[in-house]
Amino acid sequence: MTTAIGPRPAHGRPGPPPSIGLRAVVVGLLTAGTAVAVAHLAAGVLNPAADPVLAVGAAAIDLAPQPVKAFAIRTFGTADKLVLVAAVHVALAAASVIIGAAALRRRRYGVIGLAAFTVIGVVAVLTRPTAVAVDATPTIAGAVAGLLAMLALVRSAGTVAVSPTGRPRLLNRRQFLATSGATALNAAAAAATGQALGVNRGVGTRSRATVRIPAPASPAPPLPASVRADVDGVSPFHTTNRDFYRVDTALTVPQVDVDRWRLTLGGAVRRPRSWRFEELLARELIERDITLNCVSNEVGGPYIGTARWTGVPLAPLLREAGLEVGPDQLVSRSVDGMTIGTPLRAVLDGRDAMLVVAMNGEPLPLEHGFPVRMLVPGLYGYVGACKWLTELEVTTFAAYDAYWVRRGWAADAPVKTASRVDTPRPFARRPAGLVTIAGVAWAQRRGISAVEIQVDDEPWRQARLADGPSPDLWRQWSYRWDATPGSHTIRVRATDAAEATQTEERAAPFPSGATGWHNVTVTIT
Amino acid sequence: MYRRMFAAVGATAILALSACGADTDSAADDATTAPSTSAGAPMASASPSMMSAQFGPGCSAVPTDPANPGSFDAMAKVPVATAASGNPVLSTLVTAVKKANLVDSLNTAQGVTVFAPTNDAFGKIPKADLDKVLADDAMLKKVLTYHVVPGQLSPETLAGTHETLQGADLTVTGSGSSFTVNGTSMVVCGNVSTANATVYLVDTVLMPKS
Repeated sequence: MTTAIGPRPAHGRPGPPPSIGLRAVVVGLLTAGTAVAVAHLAAGVLNPAADPVLAVGAAAIDLAPQPVKAFAIRTFGTADKLVLVAAVHVALAAASVIIGAAALRRRRYGVIGLAAFTVIGVVAVLTRPTAVAVDATPTIAGAVAGLLAMLALVRSAGTVAVSPTGRPRLLNRRQFLATSGATALNAAAAAATGQALGVNRGVGTRSRATVRIPAPASPAPPLPASVRADVDGVSPFHTTNRDFYRVDTALTVPQVDVDRWRLTLGGAVRRPRSWRFEELLARELIERDITLNCVSNEVGGPYIGTARWTGVPLAPLLREAGLEVGPDQLVSRSVDGMTIGTPLRAVLDGRDAMLVVAMNGEPLPLEHGFPVRMLVPGLYGYVGACKWLTELEVTTFAAYDAYWVRRGWAADAPVKTASRVDTPRPFARRPAGLVTIAGVAWAQRRGISAVEIQVDDEPWRQARLADGPSPDLWRQWSYRWDATPGSHTIRVRATDAAEATQTEERAAPFPSGATGWHNVTVTIT
Repeated sequence: MYRRMFAAVGATAILALSACGADTDSAADDATTAPSTSAGAPMASASPSMMSAQFGPGCSAVPTDPANPGSFDAMAKVPVATAASGNPVLSTLVTAVKKANLVDSLNTAQGVTVFAPTNDAFGKIPKADLDKVLADDAMLKKVLTYHVVPGQLSPETLAGTHETLQGADLTVTGSGSSFTVNGTSMVVCGNVSTANATVYLVDTVLMPKS
């Protein structure tokens, strides 16, 4: 068998047949190893998610039929991703031996084989949801390095037949061993460097790329088109992840490796416990459209958005752990030590308080708290929406002040009823005649029942409300204004479903949220 | 005493700002020891490169402690009317803006340039005239919007004629770090960043030609 695929048999002095099978294994594995290691290194520098092995694994998950995925999760449990990545490596290793053998026979066969795998890698990388063209670079860099390694190895392995001495194998073996050893060392160094870079720079990015969120057991109720006021200039009903406000004190976004991440629950519960990410995903997930806002938003300000959140209902987790009698606060801690205190009653009263794992259909973006953040509808973020969550502690407000409370902010901060004119913009100039005024109003948990508009000192008039299917959602509104020439000030105020109209009195965001009627000044010509 | 009052206001403002971090809760450091940092991140537009470029003799009057809401660092992180309200040399302007009901509009305008008359600038107007303007909302609105130009003008694009939000043009002459508006109003401190506007402090109130 070895003679059949021996290199350059034309030079054929028989001699002791070189161990072609072993050489094929060495050439193949080192070629693939170099390619994978260099790609890993380049991905570590560029973008950890652009690693071709990871991308192929992720693509395999996408392509696998549901029963296979279910089988994998059932069989391997939390190790399913590890098994998958290992499987990709094993498959690659097997294929690389064949490529190695082919390369020893005809160099171009090896090149073709390598090219074929490069194409698979590039396609896998570029078909990832968040891929950009430059993500192909690590794969191509790996392929080039693999090609150079393969050519060097084949050359040293192939000198056997042309050796003029009587003991060709020794000379050849030495050279081959030297080349192989150097290649292996280079590959190992590249892989280690890539790993270190990946761990330091983008473990969260890498980790997030491997996450798959199961379909929610309770999908978001369908939203009728009538939730939109259908006026140019109004905030989109759903805020994209990119546009979703991010008010931040973070200089660097925490990078969390989901495989090492744990959520612990302790304090005043009878059965403290912890969860891995996969264990949370294995629970029944809910999906809801919810509006979230920041307490620091000034009147008319931009720190509010609506997303479709997927998460684990929080109340059952707490109840299963056996809540003791007396505690009134749930303290959440982030991986970097931030603390947020939430009234326990708000978590347990039946609202959709959840541990969010996905935002607008994709795993939680890093800057929005990957892998898990809390969300409690009806509360400002600083009392209910801890990002990069890692610990929950049931306690009392008397016993513990969370981070912002220690700095004077209110311990309990339900969202205040508010409204905002989105269009026309401040200082806009519009021709006289029909001008459509429109915007949003919100009073999470209570819902909006009316929005009124006042132009200058004229009487307040009812705006037309778009549908509001959930009290936890903002509500769009519009008003057709017959505008006359001059400078005008437009005011807006909202009334919640409990018939309470938002207060005109101006309050700064500190300590519990801004109040006041938003106004814009426009010029009609 | 004056100073202490601003420090107190500053502390409140910093607290107000930093609470935004609650949504991201990533402040590993203590806000009380690093107030400027924790107040710092809310506005993506407050890039250090923009903030480092103020110029003019009047800039020295601006507080340098980043915890002070009147400082360049603090102003860069909040919208323009809020930023001005933290700056002691702009208190008359802030009073006028509130009187004209333009706080929200200025704070939520997207990308404008504000020529901000200092207290000294208002001080040049005879008191009777100033009171008359302050008492006439329509007039006040006209005067104030004449100080605002759409778009954020850098020092490089500042010289020239610009249409104001009031409708009439204003003309800036000069170059480098020396500019004059409408021939008489000197820019005493220029290129001050706020979250949504670039501010040029001027030493004379501008009047639209009526």
